[in-house]
This record gives sequence, structure tokens and C-alpha cells, in this order.
Amino acid sequence: MSNYIERFSTSERVLHWIVTASFFTLLLSGLGLYSRLFTGYFTFFGGGQNAILVHKIGGVIFFFSSLYMYVNHKKDISTFDQDDKEWVSQQGGYLSRKAAHFNIGKYNPGQKLFALYIAAATAVLGISGVFIWMPLLFPRWIVQISLLSHGLMFVGSIMFVIVHVYLATIGNPGTIDAMLYGDVKKNWAKKHHPKWYKQTTGDNQ
Amino acid sequence: MADTINQATRKGFLVDTSRCIGCRSCQVACKQWNKLEADKTSNKGTFENPRDLTPALYNRIKFIEKETTGGISWLFFNERCMHCGDAGCMKVCPSPGALFRTKEGIVAFNKDKCISCKYCVSACPFNIPRYGTDDKVSKCNLCTDRISGGMTPACAKACPTETLKYGVRSTLIATAKAAKKTLYGESDLNGLGVVYALEGPPERYGLPEKPSIPMSIFIWKDVIKPLGILGFWGSIGAMLLHYVTIGPKKIEDEEGGGHE
Amino acid sequence: MGMSVSRRDFLKLSSSSLAAATLGYSLAPIEARAEDLPIRYAKETTTICPYCAVGCGMIVHTLGGEVINIEGDPDHPINEGALCPKGSSVYQLRDNKARLTTPKYRAAGATEWKDVSWEWTIEEIAKRVKKARDESFVATSKIKIKEKVGTVEVEKEIEAVVNRTMGMASVGSAALDSEECYLYQKFLRGLGLVYIEHQARICHSSTVPALAESFGRGAMTNHWIDIKNADVILIMGANPAENHPISFRWIMKARDAGAKVICVDPRFTRSASKADLYAPLRSGTDIAFLGGMIHYILQNKLYFEEYVQNYTNASYLVNGEFKMPGELAGLFSGYDVKKRSYDAKAWSFQKEGEDGIKKDATLQDPNSVFQLLKKHYSRYTPELVSRITGTPTDKLLEVYKLYASTGKPDKAGTELYAMGWTQHTVGTQNIRAMAIIQLLLGNIGIAGGGINAMRGEGNVQGSTDHGLLFHLLPGYLPVPSADITDLATYIQKIAPQTKDPQSANWKQNQGKYITSYLKAIYGAKATKENDFGYAWLPKLDPGMNCSWLMIFDAMIKNKFKGFFAWGQNPACSGTNSTKVRNALAKLEWMVTVNLFDNETASFWKGPGVNSAALKTEVFLLPAAASYEKEGSITNSGRWAQWRYKAVNPLGQSKPDAEIIHELYQKLKELYAKEGGALPEQLLNLTWNYGFKRADGTIKSVDVHAIAKEINGYFLEDVEEKPKPLKPGEKAAPAPPPGSPKKLLGKKGELTGGFAQLQADGSTSCGCWIYSQSYNEKGNMMARRGKKDPSGIGLFPEWAWAWPVNRRIIYNRASVDLNGKPYNLKKAVIHWNPTVVQPTGAVGAWTGDVPDGPWPPMSDAKEGKKPFIMQVDGLGSLFGKGLRDGPFPEHYEPMECPVPENFMSKQVTNPASKIFNDANVKEDVLASCDVRFPYVGTTYRVTEHWQSGVMTRNTPWLLELQPRQFCELSLELAKEKSISNGDMIEISSARGKIEAVAVVTPRIKPFKIGDRIVHEIGMPWCFGWHTPGVGDAANLLTPTAGDANTMIPETKAFMVGIARKG
Repeated sequence: MSNYIERFSTSERVLHWIVTASFFTLLLSGLGLYSRLFTGYFTFFGGGQNAILVHKIGGVIFFFSSLYMYVNHKKDISTFDQDDKEWVSQQGGYLSRKAAHFNIGKYNPGQKLFALYIAAATAVLGISGVFIWMPLLFPRWIVQISLLSHGLMFVGSIMFVIVHVYLATIGNPGTIDAMLYGDVKKNWAKKHHPKWYKQTTGDNQ
Repeated sequence: MADTINQATRKGFLVDTSRCIGCRSCQVACKQWNKLEADKTSNKGTFENPRDLTPALYNRIKFIEKETTGGISWLFFNERCMHCGDAGCMKVCPSPGALFRTKEGIVAFNKDKCISCKYCVSACPFNIPRYGTDDKVSKCNLCTDRISGGMTPACAKACPTETLKYGVRSTLIATAKAAKKTLYGESDLNGLGVVYALEGPPERYGLPEKPSIPMSIFIWKDVIKPLGILGFWGSIGAMLLHYVTIGPKKIEDEEGGGHE
Repeated sequence: MGMSVSRRDFLKLSSSSLAAATLGYSLAPIEARAEDLPIRYAKETTTICPYCAVGCGMIVHTLGGEVINIEGDPDHPINEGALCPKGSSVYQLRDNKARLTTPKYRAAGATEWKDVSWEWTIEEIAKRVKKARDESFVATSKIKIKEKVGTVEVEKEIEAVVNRTMGMASVGSAALDSEECYLYQKFLRGLGLVYIEHQARICHSSTVPALAESFGRGAMTNHWIDIKNADVILIMGANPAENHPISFRWIMKARDAGAKVICVDPRFTRSASKADLYAPLRSGTDIAFLGGMIHYILQNKLYFEEYVQNYTNASYLVNGEFKMPGELAGLFSGYDVKKRSYDAKAWSFQKEGEDGIKKDATLQDPNSVFQLLKKHYSRYTPELVSRITGTPTDKLLEVYKLYASTGKPDKAGTELYAMGWTQHTVGTQNIRAMAIIQLLLGNIGIAGGGINAMRGEGNVQGSTDHGLLFHLLPGYLPVPSADITDLATYIQKIAPQTKDPQSANWKQNQGKYITSYLKAIYGAKATKENDFGYAWLPKLDPGMNCSWLMIFDAMIKNKFKGFFAWGQNPACSGTNSTKVRNALAKLEWMVTVNLFDNETASFWKGPGVNSAALKTEVFLLPAAASYEKEGSITNSGRWAQWRYKAVNPLGQSKPDAEIIHELYQKLKELYAKEGGALPEQLLNLTWNYGFKRADGTIKSVDVHAIAKEINGYFLEDVEEKPKPLKPGEKAAPAPPPGSPKKLLGKKGELTGGFAQLQADGSTSCGCWIYSQSYNEKGNMMARRGKKDPSGIGLFPEWAWAWPVNRRIIYNRASVDLNGKPYNLKKAVIHWNPTVVQPTGAVGAWTGDVPDGPWPPMSDAKEGKKPFIMQVDGLGSLFGKGLRDGPFPEHYEPMECPVPENFMSKQVTNPASKIFNDANVKEDVLASCDVRFPYVGTTYRVTEHWQSGVMTRNTPWLLELQPRQFCELSLELAKEKSISNGDMIEISSARGKIEAVAVVTPRIKPFKIGDRIVHEIGMPWCFGWHTPGVGDAANLLTPTAGDANTMIPETKAFMVGIARKG
């Protein structure tokens, strides 16, 4: 019997990495636009105008892939049950060195929240991005609000992403396997997502 | 983020609207010096043309007709970049040197450095910057080439009635005040580079009473931007802190083997 | 943009962004990016603006033989570097795809232009000119003259020499340099032409007789800068903010010093926007308005009594039979209904002695000019004036009161006018009315005073001075009439005599000027024996009128074979343009010279024209722009200013002088070879304007040679004549024998002023008033001295002003009888009785060049009266030299909105010519016609110039004012369901045009009598040749002319309007 169970299908993994790649492309190409402090990042693209072009292309890819990802996972991330509440009340056990156990499904509430936020941010960044892309076609106040919300959503996104990357890598060893290879160790699944483990394997141990 | 500006030596314009005869020599002289193409226009029932600034029109005269008790007034207003002391366009411009302040205190532009983001369009309190087919910023730059060569800007030089006066801003203001003129833009936005002597309330000329950088732009640049940077580094720091203090959630591996 | 990232960039990137991001400091974007001044290494050439007659200085920057920038000349005292939008745009006259760069030819019936060579063009034109001249030359004409047999005058018919060409006419041009104008009139008169006209006829012709009748000269009395010296500025009949924008620089300076500005106009204009007092009036009612002011001034005794007594003819007694409109139903004595003219004898003064005039110094005699003036204008009460003009009475009185405040000795009121006064059937009298006011208030001759006729074309003053009019030779010498058969008789006629010792009567010298003119144009061929070639000058029949309206009237009646439209666009600028356009179609050929194609040149493909059926051949020649050639132009203030050449003419275009020159050479060759009608008329012209080739032809014209010919030469050594001895004076001791003769000038030298000109043929001078302009000291017109010792802006060393560099004419009237300035603070001239002159005489004038060197009037022996060009030396309140009355009287325009004249039974000007030939269907008038119920008027706008040929082709200007529009009141718009911006149709009895409605509160309906009268206005600067701008406003205007000068009445006519679609 295999020591591993499948967590993400190949297509899910590809999609995730498309979203990831486009997100970091947007980050790098957008930093210079965010503040003159990061002007140097334009150099990666051969100047600001190219960075904007890359940002626009990256934006389109990110928008659709991220939204598609949301649609794919919509079912798993949009409901919260009693166990989730328990997880939240104890901050998922992340603020203590003591081992904590929660009966969590495929995603814990933190992951759900993260996914929901990214979905919302994608929508806001995408729509405001269109206004910022073609500012001369819209009333100035719309573009002004867009610039504000684009910045605001970006700040939220980057903070979430930092946490996400940390928790998915060194914060929770083994987690990254799911996105790299598609399967995770049973022990990992039992520990982090026992409910999901039971549902997938039928193993009630 | 206010850029440095020397208020004592700062150059600027005093526009005395009570002297303007609406001849629009300023519009043409500007085009002549800056070699800007003519715009195609049509008459829509007013002498005012073009009816807005364009990429090839850095300054223009607004014609304002108003019936008053016992008569009529026909006001002429020179619309152009105000060269704000606290310039919204410069605040948001992500490309250093695209919009810059000259040693005279003028907000100038360099098309070679413009990256066509058009943030300045949204950030300007007076809706001045325009983008043309070259997709680069254009607006009045007070003929930086002329003033750095010791000349007067083309529009001010051409002005028949000395409505547009170029000089040391503080001196222009002092002279206008001595003549008991009502000034606009003396201190708003760290002082406008183009100060107006108006004959009526600013609204009559289509000017905001208290010009300021749009609130959303202020929040974006002055609140979110620093907070964002703080948030970025804060998040990273927090994660590092977490890793060292609380540590990762290791999984007890009974079989003692990793997934190589 | 490359994607390469250098190591350095990388370092910069990492260090800067990291440092910045971590430490949070700002990358300050302050960057000194010194842009190089594009004109730093350019060549600078000074020139004068080609547009209006303010005469602003410009600097043309060229680099590598091409213009890179044109801007105002900061050293120029008038514009001080500023320019109006037209001036600011002249760069685009050259950087312009529409500029003509080759000669073009349109064959009979052709539908397109063909590019042709200069050589072919000049040859073909010359052939046609010669043929037309030879076929239509009239050597003699049967005329009736009056001869005195004993004491009885009898009429007899004689066959008089006229030597004129009837089959050709020419219009143009105020757009030429003065030297070119002089050359052109010389060439045309060499061809025998009498139909010579140009812009001056249709813009300011009424100015000349009005001002000349009142003061002696026909020009603007003061000059642009002098406006700053005024205390009250009356803008009426003009719109300087729009049409002479730089004049407003000086109006504003006057305002800064506390002056008040009054604007009287049917529309609230851009000038009105800066006025302290605005009053509306219905177009065509200026005399009523001004008559009311005369009444107000006299009634309230606000006139400057000393001035009126000493310097005007107020004290003259008019003959007892003389009756005025108040008594004769709107007519003066001496009217002949059949002839529609007056016999001015009915207006004569009472005689005293042999040729003295009876006076009453107390001004109380009921027959005195003063009392008659009072009586005549007592009818012009504010209430009646208001009923006529539509101006509310309170506004009238406000204007009267403010303006009359300048009647004090030290106060100055100036009047600025232009086409709003001139272009009426009462145009001359409009200006006369103001002349009377200015004389009453003592505003003539002083700084900040005067009647300032603001000229519209850059050189219309020069072109008028140089005689491009059918009735004037250069220097305002009249074109001889056939009944004056020899030079002696001509001189007798133009050089009046007087026995008044206090009258300088300068015109007595005119014999010297005509002789010098003949010597200038005929050179050695003009001898005492042949009457200096007087016979070769083409002559008019007595009373013959060849003015503008008559040219097109004759043309439409098939009287001409050929026509020159040189730098002029009559198909657009000519009143009743349909008549002009239809007349052009009757020509066999036309030569037209311009910078751009236009409605006249291309009339054969105009709207509704069947090109194939139209047989007129057209030659369109490309002219050089003003800064592509050299020469002088004279501004409104009579400053002759030199323009230098900055670049070569664009493409194959040529300076006008070169074109005239080549035509002349070709014609000379043809006449020398083939003979023809009176070849001497052409061949005897002097033409020494440059380096001569072996075959005698001149390669190119040296403009300086023409300028010198205009100035004049000593043709022989001329001795200074001793002054005639006064009674009791001893003759100076005779110089010792053998001592050199004291010479006025040596043979070959340039004359130093018209006082040196001689009647015996020993001097030449092309235009006497320009004598001194280019003398032995050099080209005075090119001077750039910036000194203003007077402090009143005379700038005596900048350029040169006619006459003899006098900046304010009639300045002898600015001082009292002892020569003390009425206003010491703004003294124009000042008599210093103690100064000893180099000649030994005691007493001298300081300040401006005085109107003659004589002492002031208190010197009973030597002193002279101020108006030296008048025979009696005085300003004329009573002007008996005009055709329609000695005092201005209000008459309605030829087309008017009211059935009656509230002033009298005489509705329209009784002495103006009526065009009512049934065969000319284009000539119709429609007063009080329900189809045309609104008063129409035309005007110019800041952004365009004249018919718009230059400005419509300047994209920067078309951007500002893109098409024909029509201004109308909110009230009329509501009545006609017209919204702002709607397309409307404006129609008159003669035609219709389309325009965009500009509905504005700046125009208000008038209450005329008991009815509401609406007025609309539109600019006349557009024409069909420019796509999408609409056609000419002059399609609406009538063929109606002023009684004195036949200037067309384009400022008041009747129209109807309707919304399109």
C-alpha cells in the first residue's frame, strides 16, 4: 500500500503554477509602478514601458487563471463548518509550539480565507486594472478609485502570499509536495486534514 | 512626498485675467515655439477653440460669458499646467525624470523617460496632462528650453497686454498684492507656479476653490504605499519570527523515510 | 527598447531599490535636464509683421537657410516683443503645403490648373497686356469744359489728350512693400491704366477726405504708442482688441495710468470686455450718436474755447442764404435732385476784402460756423438720438459726459476707429463728426489725442501714400483730369494761394512735388520743353469715377479684356461678391498674384460655376512672403519701417517687385520691337533698378534703388536760395568773389526732405511725403534707435515717419498762442523763445518735429497757424469740400430696418450713387422688406485677416476659428427657434450663406422708435476655397457706396435668417 495519497491533479497543479508565475511576474513588473522606490525593477524588463506591457499581459493571464482556479475550488472553499470554527478559535494552533489537532477537511479556514481573498482581489485588481490600462476612456474619478483599490488589493495580496508561501513551505514541511508532485504523505494528510484523509481513503484509523 | 523647491528663487507666472483680451496669441505662440500640430476643430457656438487642452495644445483661453445685473461680462481665462509646488503628477509618476522639477521650480517633462502609465492624468488637481498618438505625456513646461536659456516662455512673451507675466514668483505676487489683486494659488499645493489675479470667485473660471491632489490619490500614495511597504517587510519578518519562535509543524514520520 | 541589463544597472538596481526599500528614503526625482535652446546658433533677421498696420517688429531665426522660429522683436518700441495670434503664426506661411510654389495657368474652359514656367507665363501675359492696351488705348477724349468769356462762363467741347487704356483694370495691393507699390503704380500708369484701385478704397478711403477736410492730411493723426497718453479712449467704429491686438497693449497702459475706456459697438466685443463703459448702438447710426455728443458739448459749454477760437474756423461767417437739414427737410442748400449732388457754392463763406473771409471772433453771429453748428446739432437731443441708435439715453449721457471731460486743456481724449465708421454710405461724414468733436475739445495735435484711423493691412498706408488709387498719384497729388491740359494749369489747381500771412498753406508747394514726381518716373525724358512729360500721364475725364464699385460695374458690362488682382481677393472681399464673381467671368484673361490659391484665382471652379463654359484665362503667380524679400512698409502711425530678407522665396515664388519688373522688361521688349499705341508712355519710364546686362536688361530689382527714387535726388547742383527779405531788412553782405556757392544739394545726391524739392526739374522725387526717408545719411526707415527723450513715446530715431519724421501731426495745435504746451506733462512740442539757432534766428521748438519751423501764432509776423496743410491754416468745423454737406447729418443706411429717418424726411444719403441698372440683376436693395427684417453687419476676428487667404491657410489659426459663424441675440434665437451651434442660413436680397449660430447675450435687440430691431453679425474672412469653412459674408452685402469715396456699405444691410434642416 502506498504511503501517499493524491491531493491535487496535474491540471490543478499546472493551473496553480500558472497563477503563481503570473502573480510573481505582476509583482516584479508592478513594483516599479507601485513606487519610485522600486524603479530599479523596471530594469528587469528593459524599462518602464516594457514593464507595463508585461504587467498587462501578466494581468490578463493572472485574472483568468486565478478566477478559473476559484471556480474549480469554489465548492471546497466557500463553506465553513463547526470544525473550522474550532480551528479559528485556536488560530489553527500556529501561535503555539504545542501540537494541536483539528478535524479539518481538504482546506483549513486559513486556506479558504486566502483563496477567497485572492479571488476577490483578482476581480478587483482585474477590473481596476482595465480602468488604469485605459485611463483616458473613463472619468477621472473612476481611474482614481481604481488606482487606490489596485494598490490596496495588491498590498493585501502580497501579505497573504508571503504567509501562504511560508506555510506551504518551511512552515509546514511536506506541504509543498502537493503542488510539486500532486500527492502528499498519508501522515501529513492525517495530521493536517484528517477529515479529508478519511473521506478520500475511507480509513477511519 | 514633496520635492524640494526654493520658494525664494522659484520662477512662475502671474496671470492677470483683467488684462486678457482673449486674442489667444499664447495658444499660437506656444504651438509655434514647440512646433505642435494644429488640431482639427469645429465651431459649436462659441469662440472658444479647441474646447479642451489637447496633446498639441499646452495652454488655451476659456471664454466665459455671463449676464450680470446691468450688463454682461466676458471673461477670458488662460488654462494650463499650474506647476504646483506640490505636484500630483510628480507624486504619482513612477518614472524618475519623466516629470521633474527644474531649478526654476517648473514642473517639466521628458518624453524619453515617460513610460505612458498615465498616472499623472489621474493625479492632477486641474486635469492638465494629455497623451497623444505618441502615448507620452504632454503639457505646458513653461518652455524650459527658453527659460534655461534666459528667455521668457513663448506665450508670455507674445502676450499683447502682459496678462501673462513671467518672473520670480515671490516678486510677481508682491507686485500683484501691492495692486490689491485677489490672488488664486498663492499657497495652495505648496504654492502654484501659475498664480492668478481673478476678477471673480474661482468657480466662475471653473477652478476648484481649494485645489488639492485628489483624496484617492493621496490615500494611494501617502497612506497605502508606505503601509504596503511596511506590510510587505512586516509579513516576511513575522514569518521569520514565527519560524524561529514557534517553528514549523513537523510531521512525525513513523516510517522514518521521506519522500525523496 | 533593448532588454539588456548591464552589470552597472544591476548594481544600481539592487543597491538602490534595496537600500530605498529597506531604509525608506526617497529617490528624489529632481533632475536638472538642461535643454539646449534651438535658436542658440540661429541667424536673426528683423522684419515687420505682414498682417495689420500696427507694424510690430519680428525676429526671424534661420538656420542653414531655413526658418526655424519667428517671434516678436523685444527691441521694437510698439510691440516690445509681443505679437497677436496672427503674428505668432507667420512661421506657418512658409511651413505650409498650400503655398503656391510655381506659376499656374488655367486655359479657357479648363477645369484644372496647369503648372507652367515663369518664362512662358511672363511672355504670355505680356502679349495679352499689349494686345489689350493697343486695342483699348484712348489718346483723346471729347470733354466739356467751362471757359470764362469776359465775365460769363460758357461751356464748350474740346478734344483733350487723355492717353489712357480703358480695357484693363487692376486691384492691389496693400500687401506689397512700399517700393513695390510705387513700382506697380509706375508700371500701370506707364501702361496708361486709370482703373487702378486696391484695398485702401474698400477699407479706409472715407478716412482720407474726412480727415483731410478737417485737418489737412488724410492719415491717422497720432500713432500706436501715443494711445498710452490718453485720459479717455473712445473705441467706436472699431474693435482693436480683435483687429489690432497690440494696440491694446497701449490701451492697457493708458488704463494703468488711470485712463477710462469707452466702447460703443452693436456687439459686446472683446474690446468691450475691457471697457469701463460700454454702450450699444445700431449699425449705421454713428452720426446720430456723435451729433448728440456735439450737442451735449455745446449745450453744456464743455468745449475748449481758446482752441476753438484760435485753431478752428468757428468764427467764419457762412453766407446768409445757407440753409441746413433742419430747415430743408434733411438737405443742405444747393442740392440738385436730378444730379443727386450738391453745388458747394451754396456753402460759401462771406467775403471780406479781396479774398478774406468775414469772421466774428465772439462766435455770436447767427451765421458764424459756431452758431450754425450749435443750431444744426440742437436737433440731436438724447431722446431723439436714442430713438435712432437704440442706445439707452442714460448710456448716451454717460458716454457724452465722460468723453467731454477731455475738453479741458490738459486732458486728452483719443478716438480709435476703423471699418465700423468707414464702410457706410455716410462713412466720410461719420469721421467728420468725430473730427468736429475733437476740434471742439481741443484734442487734435496733442499727445494722447487725435483721431486714430486704425489701418488694417500692414502697408495700406504705404500703398495709399504711393498712389495705387484711380484718383491719386503718389503723395496724394490728384490724378490729372483731361480738362487740365498742361502742367502749369495743373499746378495752379493743386497749389492754392492765400494772402493770409499767418497761414503756411503748405500745399502751395505742390507744384514742386508734381514736377519732381514726373522727373522721377520719366527721368531725362521729362524736360521743361515737353512739360516734364505731363502728357504721358493717363488722364481722367472730368468727373470720371474709376473706383472699386465702378471697376466691377464696368467689368460685368464687358468693358474689360484683362484684369490684375494683385495680392487681393475681390471675389471674397468685394461687396456683393456675386456681382464680382460674375464680373470676373466676363474677362478674357486675368492675372492674379498671391501666396495661396483663393476664391478670385479659382473663381472658374467656384460653387455653381460651369467651368467648361467659362472662357476666362487665368494666370496665378506665386508671390514671396514678407520675410522672403526686402523693402519697407508703413504702419498706421505713418512709420515707414524696413524689412530685411531672412530666406530665399519658397519654391519658384518671387517678390512682387521681380514679377512687376519682368513684366515690364518683356513689355518694353515687345513695344521696342513691334511698336503700338503710344509706346513712349511705357518706354520713357526710368527703370534703373540694378545691374544691367549687355543687352540692357536688368537681372534683378534692387529695392534700395526704388526706395532712393521715392526719396528723390538732386539732378543738378541746387543752390540754397536766400530767404526773401522782409521790409526794412538789409541784405546780407555779398560773399567774396570766388567763394564756393552755398548748395542745398549736389548733383546726384539724395534729397534731404521735401522742402528741398524744386519746381524747375532740378530734383526728382517719387513720393514727396517720403522725401527724407532714404537720404545721404542712409536708410532712415531701417533705423533702430531706442531713445525717447520726450518720454511720451515718440521714439524719433526708430524707423522714420512721414512727414519729415513728425510723429504727431498738427502738433502746433498742442500749444497755446505763445508755444506753451497745453499739457506740460505730456508736451509734444514746446517753443523756447530764447534759444539762438545756428542760422542766427532766435527761438526754437523742442520735442517732436514741429508742423513747420515757424514761431507760434503770437508772433504776428512770422508765426503760423497750426493746420499748415489747410489753405487757411485752421481746423474745419465747417467742411465745405465734401460732397454731402458741410456738417454731418444722420441718414439711414441704403438698406435700413425703418421706413423713416427720425431726423428728417430724407431717409438715405442724398448724394450717394445709386446702382440701379436694370441689366445688372446682382444690384438689388431691399429696405423694410419682410423677408429681410434684421440688420446685418460684418466684421473681422482676431484669428483671421481680411478675406482670410493667408489665415485660413494657416492651420494654427483655422484651429482657433474654424468656420463661418453668425452672432445673434438670445431673443432673436428664441424667436426663430435657433439653438446655439445650429446651422443657419442668412440671406439678403443678393445672396445667402450658411453659418453656425453663435447665440449670445453679447448682442441685444435694439429699441428703434417704437419697434424692436434685431441685429446679427458675421465675419467676412471665410470663403468656399477652404473646404468646410463656408462662403463669403460679402455675398450678402450691397453695391452701395459712400457719397465722397464710394467705399462700399458693408457694415449695415438687411438680412433674414432661418435654421437649416
